[in-house]
Amino acid sequence: MTVHRPEPDRDSREWWERVARGEFTVQRCAGCGADRFPARAFCPACRSEEWEWRAVPPEGRVESWIVSHQPFVPGLATPYVVVLVRLAAVPDGLVHGNWRGGREPRGGERVHGVFRRVDADLTLVDWGPAG
Amino acid sequence: MTKRLLEFRNATAIAGVGYTPFTKNSGASTLTLACRAVLAALADAGLTADDVDGLATHRVGDSAPPTLVGPALGLTDLSWHLDQFGGGSVSHAVVGQAALAVATGMAETVVCYRAINARSEFRMGGTGRGLPVSPEVQYQAPYGYVAPPQQYAMYARAHMLRYGTTAEHFGTLAVTQRANAAKNPRALMRSPITLDDYLASRWIAEPFRLLDCCLETDGACAVVVTTAERARELRRPPVLISAAAWGGGQSHLSGGDPTVTAAAGLAPRLYAQAGLGPEDVDVAEIYDCFTYSVIVQLEDYGFCPKGEGGPYVASGATALDGPLPVNTHGGFLSEGYVHGVNHIAEAVSQLRGEAGDRQVPGAEVALSTAQPGYILPATSALILRRA
Ligand SMILES: [Zn+2]
Repeated sequence: MTVHRPEPDRDSREWWERVARGEFTVQRCAGCGADRFPARAFCPACRSEEWEWRAVPPEGRVESWIVSHQPFVPGLATPYVVVLVRLAAVPDGLVHGNWRGGREPRGGERVHGVFRRVDADLTLVDWGPAG
Repeated sequence: MTKRLLEFRNATAIAGVGYTPFTKNSGASTLTLACRAVLAALADAGLTADDVDGLATHRVGDSAPPTLVGPALGLTDLSWHLDQFGGGSVSHAVVGQAALAVATGMAETVVCYRAINARSEFRMGGTGRGLPVSPEVQYQAPYGYVAPPQQYAMYARAHMLRYGTTAEHFGTLAVTQRANAAKNPRALMRSPITLDDYLASRWIAEPFRLLDCCLETDGACAVVVTTAERARELRRPPVLISAAAWGGGQSHLSGGDPTVTAAAGLAPRLYAQAGLGPEDVDVAEIYDCFTYSVIVQLEDYGFCPKGEGGPYVASGATALDGPLPVNTHGGFLSEGYVHGVNHIAEAVSQLRGEAGDRQVPGAEVALSTAQPGYILPATSALILRRA
């Protein structure tokens, strides 16, 4: 289930390449050690441009979700659930994805990422209940 | 606050407002709509296009800029103009920047307008529309998350989870604003609705129903900004610009607290500039792209404690006869969607005492606000007062 393909920018291309290899990463600042998401060149805390990718378990908690009914994306079957997850590795970082729970999410519940291989060139990250 | 900022307080005024009819299909170009609204606002002020030396608008690539509207009205030597990129977040910043231009003498008479065919041409709600250009889109669009109603529904749910805000709270706001629209001849949706009607309206993106969402409208609206001194000599009672503020920064698309908006940071600066507080506001025209947008701003502008926006609305506080009448014209939910400028124009009507059946008796101070910063991480607002 996807119509819009992501269009990586020069800061994020490697993040997507790593997702395609089944790796979920955040950036760790070499200046102050802060982790961040999404991919950016500069650390907003110390403004350092030095950083490295850090693979983390794709884990977090449900911040919110919607059940989308209106056909905003032609060709995409409705309804579908989009979940907003607060990353365990980056407490200030929020990530969106489709829900793979077989039921509606619950506020605050622990979730883990599920890699969804769409085709040879594209892998997305969905979320489902942890454990 | 600096002395220079203090001098800005009440130095400029809105001297006229103008509208085109609000419809689902204007049958006209945005250039034509803009010209009509600009001329209507000038006529209201007792001025003509020959008096104009500044034009300003905001848009998202969907409408006629000042560089088209100026020449179309024979204005070939403007001394100031502004073509502000952005949606509802910047609607009030445009008027604020016009006020700055007027206060410094760079221009004397600026018309701020927004012309929009948001139903018949560029669907503002996102249905079938191209994606915005933002690096954050790549993390959302592949999951079918592309439209403002989805984004706002996500933040509304976060607020429900955190604070216990309910569908009935959202619904009460929609019902209240429709009751106001019933008293507004300009409003597109004037048939009263009940809470049951709200609850029975179809899902758009849960927790949002159809009646949580604003209209998509064709139309234009304009306001004339000039010095307070000059406005006193014109046809209409001047409405002073007591404060104008804009700013922000936190992107909710990738982080932060989704239950707090940029308005929380802006409000203290805005009130200090006006020398007023929320308790002084007689009427508030609050950006209502969705019901939740009003509830969170009632909190962030200090009308009730954080998390209590829902119960505040449910108490009837925002009704026409409540302590803080909100969106007296019906707002985007029921009057029409002209991207913030119709909220400013309604505030002016209220302060002039010309709002007819929906007039708030004795209204002296009005707050009008922009999109609080959820989609574009910035907001803007004005405090206006009767001269
Ligand atoms: Zn750093």
